[in-house]
Amino acid sequence: MTESIIILLAGIFLPLFPMSMVFNAVIESIKHAWLRAVLFVVWPLCGLSIVLYSKVVIPAWVLPLALTTSALYALRMLSLREVNQWNGFLATSLWSLLWLAAMQDTSEILLYSYALSMSAPLVLLVLLSAGLEQRFGAAYTELYSGLARTIPRFAGVLVTVVVAAIATPLFPTFFIMLDMVVETISATPFAAMVLLFIWLLWSWAGARLIQGLIVGRASDIKIVDMNFTTISLFSLVLMALIVAGIYLSGVIL
Amino acid sequence: MEQIIIVVAVLPLISASLIQIFAGRIGRGIARFSVAITTLSFLLAVLLLSFSLAGHGPQTLTLGNSTAIMLFDPLSTLLATVILGISLIVHIYSVRYMAEEDAYGQFFVLLDLMTGALLFMVIAGDLITLVIAWYLVGVLLYFLLGHDTRSQTAYRFAFWTLITYRIGDIPLIIAAALLYNAYDTWSLTTIFAEIMANPGAHQFLGLPLTEVVAALIGLAAFARSAQFLLHTWLPYTMDGPTPVSALMHAGIVNAGGFLINRFAPVFIHSGDVLNWIFIVGLITAVFGSLLMLTQNDIKKALGYSTMGQMGFMIMECGIGAFSLAIYHMIAHGVFKGTMFLSAGGVINDARHNDGIPKDELYTFVVEKQPNKASQPWVLMAAITLAVPLMVLIFAHLLIAEDYFQKQGAIVLLFFGWVTGAQLIFATYRMRSQNVWRLVGLSVLSLVVVVLGYVVISHAFDLFLYPDPAFRTQLYTAASIDILRFDVLVAITTLIIVSGWVVTYYTEQGGYRRRQQSKRLWLNFYALISREFYISDIYTRLARTILAISNRLNVWLRWL
Repeated sequence: MTESIIILLAGIFLPLFPMSMVFNAVIESIKHAWLRAVLFVVWPLCGLSIVLYSKVVIPAWVLPLALTTSALYALRMLSLREVNQWNGFLATSLWSLLWLAAMQDTSEILLYSYALSMSAPLVLLVLLSAGLEQRFGAAYTELYSGLARTIPRFAGVLVTVVVAAIATPLFPTFFIMLDMVVETISATPFAAMVLLFIWLLWSWAGARLIQGLIVGRASDIKIVDMNFTTISLFSLVLMALIVAGIYLSGVIL
Repeated sequence: MEQIIIVVAVLPLISASLIQIFAGRIGRGIARFSVAITTLSFLLAVLLLSFSLAGHGPQTLTLGNSTAIMLFDPLSTLLATVILGISLIVHIYSVRYMAEEDAYGQFFVLLDLMTGALLFMVIAGDLITLVIAWYLVGVLLYFLLGHDTRSQTAYRFAFWTLITYRIGDIPLIIAAALLYNAYDTWSLTTIFAEIMANPGAHQFLGLPLTEVVAALIGLAAFARSAQFLLHTWLPYTMDGPTPVSALMHAGIVNAGGFLINRFAPVFIHSGDVLNWIFIVGLITAVFGSLLMLTQNDIKKALGYSTMGQMGFMIMECGIGAFSLAIYHMIAHGVFKGTMFLSAGGVINDARHNDGIPKDELYTFVVEKQPNKASQPWVLMAAITLAVPLMVLIFAHLLIAEDYFQKQGAIVLLFFGWVTGAQLIFATYRMRSQNVWRLVGLSVLSLVVVVLGYVVISHAFDLFLYPDPAFRTQLYTAASIDILRFDVLVAITTLIIVSGWVVTYYTEQGGYRRRQQSKRLWLNFYALISREFYISDIYTRLARTILAISNRLNVWLRWL
């Protein structure tokens, strides 16, 4: 009984449907970008801490539920147009897979680094989304479009961050996904297939988001592009993520 | 010396990084910088190829302390040279072609990254590097095809490419995971050595692992090389910049053939998988050629032409002629790349000059000027059937006497014979005033093509697979039961000869189409003109998935 309560509680932070709706409701209600960013870092760490410190044995039914949650949110991402909501759904889809890693006897430090690696691009996307809201009043796809022509530097960073978020090589999430597939393919091939399907849906959703924002004619109104310092900061974080990805690949694969 | 292969692959990445950092300061000069780096990389690749031709290697090279392994072997050196050769031409072409475009620097960054990814793909000696490079090629191609960010259409079809490539990544990732779990290493060389030593050592879901992996590699190759049902992206991705189309049709789309070649030791123990690969290639070749002939849009026709050629390339793998597939991909790459890159110049020239040479050859070949008197058909039929066969047999006897012991060789000969016969048959139908001259020219061109093809492909065979036992094993793996083989050859011959007879009677007016067959024909034409509704089905499927996604969001109140 206690174990079930712990799992349900952890299911709020390491999203398991329907508890996953809590995170998305919280994200929806917070308007301050930095607060959102902090939440994106802290939320999965809380979930992992609950699971790890309670030393609860994760029951077998969590695996299909975690996969279903991840697949459900990946599928729902396809029709989203609001960038923050998209980011929240991607976070839900990504973090629910941490259950799989937790079930595979992954070390604590590695589990935390998985969570942080997954969250890092999402935090960057939160900040970029705030940048869009600041410039256009809303962060919506197909509302203004043509960002590649209107604010090319911003668009370049946005595209790279989205690419990093949807588990593209050489970013850490790619290696985490690869490791999960390697770990599951022999024992539970069906789970590995679902993982790959979820990965495919992320790519589809990512491409839709990118297309909805950057493609189109330039805006007639002059919009301020990203300044050099901000670009340098974003580039540094993205470079650090690539280095972390390569390092992680040496550790986990 | 062999370590230079890593430098060759890293140089384009360095170029991309430097362009990204200094694009603002150097301005348009970055293009020349990119060309210079690609030239240097190409020259180094040529040096390595000559080294490999001299008999050095194969050798594996580890990248620092990492698990990344690079291969210095005939396949990697040859393909690195080809990739860099094509990339260099595309780079030089792009310097002026893209000059008016926005994001000029970004284009060269992407082009260099793509060159680097392709190079890492062909020299990868471990599964992780291979999967990363394979994956990145799809992502980079998406952005290259969508370089014109004003065009929704370019991005729409770039997405088709991306999603097909991502679908193709899935089997490769599964294959990599299965091989790692079975052999506890990512190194391709070690895995292949263990497979050769004990092919039946591992199973997956009750099936031999080598068969499962071979099938998965085949699937990955099908998506990358636009095989039937995974081909729809290819004819539609014509909105990208011309240099990208050239690079795609000349290089990227050939990756399927490379992948099958890289995993050749697995295919030796793959059961019937090579036969299935042959069938898929055959279907693709037929459908690609059929759709190419019926297109009104010349760009789509070019796309379907590439699809047909990719079908042939995969077919060649399916009959065990792995090195021939590599030769085919290079020959097709050079040919198709030239077509794309010269298209603009041809259009420009045509505006000033209609390009029709009023010389004897043009009058002879194009205007045809039919002669009322035709040659005795028995004589022509004999020439039609006998000459190509003799040319082919003679050419193949030149390279190996035991050539005809291999089923794959017989299949190739059969195709060569049918094509040659078709050529002479078409020549006869032209009813030229000087039919013997035309036949002579046809036979001469056939001899040149066949001899060139046979000799060069044999040289490729010796270079890529120097071990004769391994080559024989490849052909044996692709062989089928002799009775089944003979029956299939007989049926195919019957179909082709029937086609010739029907064509002959239609031309002679001896076959009157009835109303019903006319309707059937029209329905068939409608089916082809809609490209068998395959892209329509996929579009409907995608819309359905999006509608489900939207409905779910409404039900769950967007939380």
